[in-house]
Amino acid sequence: MAGIPHDHYEPTTGGEKWLHRRLPIVGLLYDTLMIPTPKNLNWMWIWGIVLVFCLLLQIVTGIVLVMHYTPHVDLAFASVEHIMRNVNGGYMLRYLHMNGASLFFVAVYAHIFRGLYYGSYKAPREVTWIIGMLIYLLMMATGFMGYVLPWGQMSFWGATVITGLFGAIPFVGESLQTLLLGGPAVDNATLNRFFSLHYLLPFVIAGLVIVHVWAFHTTGNNNPTGVEVRRGSKEEAEKDTLPFWPYFVIKDLFALAVILVVFFAVVGFMPNYLGHPDNYIEANPLATPAHIVPEWYFLPFYAILRAFTSEVWVVQIASFVTGGIIDAKFFGVLAMFGAIAVMALVPWLDTSSVRSGRYRPMFKWWFALLVIDFFALMWLGAMPAEEPYATFSLIASAYWFAYFLVILPLLGVIEKPLIPPATIEEDFDAHFAPKAGGTKTLVKPAE
Amino acid sequence: MMKTNILTAVVAAGFVGAASTVLAQETTEAPATGQRVTSPQVQTQEDTETREQVTTTVQGDAVTTEETGSVAAQATDASDDTNVEAASDDALPSAEGADAAREDVGVNEDVVQDEAAEAAEEVAEDQPDAVEESQTEVIAEDDVSGQAHGEDTEVGVMDDDDHGQKEDDHAAAEDDHGDDDGHGTPYIENIDFSFDGPFGAYDVNQLQRGLQIYTEVCAACHGLEYVAMRTLGDETGPNLPEAQVIEYAKQFDVYDSELDDTRPATPVDHFPQSNLANAPDLSLMAKKRAAFHGPYGLGINQFFKGIGGPEYITALLTSYTGEEKEQAGTVLYGNSVFPGGWIAMAPPLGDGQVEFVDEHANDLQHLSEDVSAFLMWTAEPKLAGRKQAGFAGVIFLTLLSVLLYLTNKRLWARHKHKES
Repeated sequence: MAGIPHDHYEPTTGGEKWLHRRLPIVGLLYDTLMIPTPKNLNWMWIWGIVLVFCLLLQIVTGIVLVMHYTPHVDLAFASVEHIMRNVNGGYMLRYLHMNGASLFFVAVYAHIFRGLYYGSYKAPREVTWIIGMLIYLLMMATGFMGYVLPWGQMSFWGATVITGLFGAIPFVGESLQTLLLGGPAVDNATLNRFFSLHYLLPFVIAGLVIVHVWAFHTTGNNNPTGVEVRRGSKEEAEKDTLPFWPYFVIKDLFALAVILVVFFAVVGFMPNYLGHPDNYIEANPLATPAHIVPEWYFLPFYAILRAFTSEVWVVQIASFVTGGIIDAKFFGVLAMFGAIAVMALVPWLDTSSVRSGRYRPMFKWWFALLVIDFFALMWLGAMPAEEPYATFSLIASAYWFAYFLVILPLLGVIEKPLIPPATIEEDFDAHFAPKAGGTKTLVKPAE
Repeated sequence: MMKTNILTAVVAAGFVGAASTVLAQETTEAPATGQRVTSPQVQTQEDTETREQVTTTVQGDAVTTEETGSVAAQATDASDDTNVEAASDDALPSAEGADAAREDVGVNEDVVQDEAAEAAEEVAEDQPDAVEESQTEVIAEDDVSGQAHGEDTEVGVMDDDDHGQKEDDHAAAEDDHGDDDGHGTPYIENIDFSFDGPFGAYDVNQLQRGLQIYTEVCAACHGLEYVAMRTLGDETGPNLPEAQVIEYAKQFDVYDSELDDTRPATPVDHFPQSNLANAPDLSLMAKKRAAFHGPYGLGINQFFKGIGGPEYITALLTSYTGEEKEQAGTVLYGNSVFPGGWIAMAPPLGDGQVEFVDEHANDLQHLSEDVSAFLMWTAEPKLAGRKQAGFAGVIFLTLLSVLLYLTNKRLWARHKHKES
């Protein structure tokens, strides 16, 4: 993949030439910013910028919060209250950071589902996809550990439950859990290592983001048609693309500003809407909350974790076959991580020759069902583990796996896809038909 | 504003010392951190009484009568021309008083601790879904909304019959008010507090009344350990004059590690911690509860109503059924709002219990609302700044959105519908 042909940075003045011979950093920035981008990208392609913004927001607010936070079981809760009450603007910093995590996950889910619908994971973008999945896993780890830091009741009990999952792994589980917790139970050692890792991981994510961007700058963006940019010559490529700056920067910033209006309304007017009131109670190892509910963005996978109880026949078979090594608890853990693993493997599970879901009549419906399934799992994850929710969870979990492991491989064989447009230019002109004069209506791509 | 800033600066310097004092106490004394753990033997009351049937007097109960009686008397004597009287040192419950009260009213702590420890072990050992199951067995209170479940940790038993009955009550209540509070949690009526909604702000007079109620009644048992007394002078809070804050602080004795002794508090000190081990600290009580989860469990109505913490407190204070029973040496009081139906706190407020200098209405409902508003302030003292920042952000970003929209439209115009 030689990349899409485009103009490169040419140093003109003496100073520029001097620097360019020694460190071609201006050229690197120029090429990154001026990357030819398919001009038919729709509004689902704005989430990348939102995610970059979220990462920066979290890092900046987080670093300032750390200046006032104390990672100690006796002081952590009080130090968060200190931030809320005494630090100048501390309440905004903390509420921005707290809700910033939610915005981050809203954006990442939108970003992932966009990729799933338009086939952005397909060759040659598998590496971009895999790195994205790694980033998503790190985000979940970071979000989880961050939620422990205020040392409220949900922090403590959430940490107890989630780290308990690692204890379910046969043979090594208990040692692994002890290593993770720094002791037999969630305590000061746990808080300290979570704090340390919560500070570290965002920078690892930032590094992976650079690789993520590098990967798709090499392959070029996908686009709603899934048709590749013509690369025969610069002139041909220019018919399909526009430079990232200013066209997509301004478009993305506009979308970001609209999203931030909602974000600031939430932070300013209902900052605790997505939080759990129990987390305003200091952690108490002697009192278990009535409901231990993870943050909303973990709920779908939490539902999958809980769905596989010992009554489910799949679990019973697994337990029988492995001689009891895989019990219901470990099966649940495997299912939860498996749910993410099948998503990561989707480049090799999808057998269709057509990339974009737009031209796949049967896929569209199964995909719509997957989105509904995701929200259903999210709802079920917040429900108590009892009937009828347990059965619903099982059905919803089964569909999640069926979509990736059965439906996608089969669809590629049995589905007859529509013919995508030959070029991106054709698609773009179909939306914004070239006219001789006439009124310019503001029709956006229909997606 | 200027005054506040200077005060803040002064306080910021002194804060570290003060905070460490408070926290040192916290670690050594290991106070109740807001959990109210009732013993699992507690049976749910059979008949859920409505607010109208609730008794309104508190005479003769063990917790507060003695203490608050003296506090109220002295506060009334010492009243001056402002809303909040500076009660004298005697107004503070003494250590003996607290101990006595603990013996009289406190939940049998051993029982509580054992039960809680058992529950903790369950979680530590069992699978999370098993935990959920065991808990749902114990507490037949399900939060359909999936939203934050407002209850503190309680291991109280609520049987299914009662559960059903409660739901019936909710249904009736929802007919009246058309609000969806999620199933299983007692219906909490929305109160139109001045600080609800995007443009709501605290009512200074109400906060001052609430402070007076807290001082005369609640402070006998409950602490406000995260609240610094200097913040009583905040313009967006109770807005007391500086001299009055200094005077107010003097009534509390705090431990000073440098003196290795107690001394009268100064504005940089925090309110004391709870006097009773099982009386939760009230600093954050209004944020520990969420009562509103509608519509359809989405919780969007919190945008206009708030999360419902103050409403919960008001409902709790006004929902005593008048029933009492003794359980493991502890007197429990029937309360239709408290999870499990029985609470260890005797009805703290009654009609006319606190007299205001301006003769503001002081029936039970008004007193409860006033103290709830005050506790919302203690939980969220920076509400005004937050809403202001949120509003500024929304306005600025809306304008920015419009400008970016126009820029984007102009920018793309020559590529869309281009003349070929």
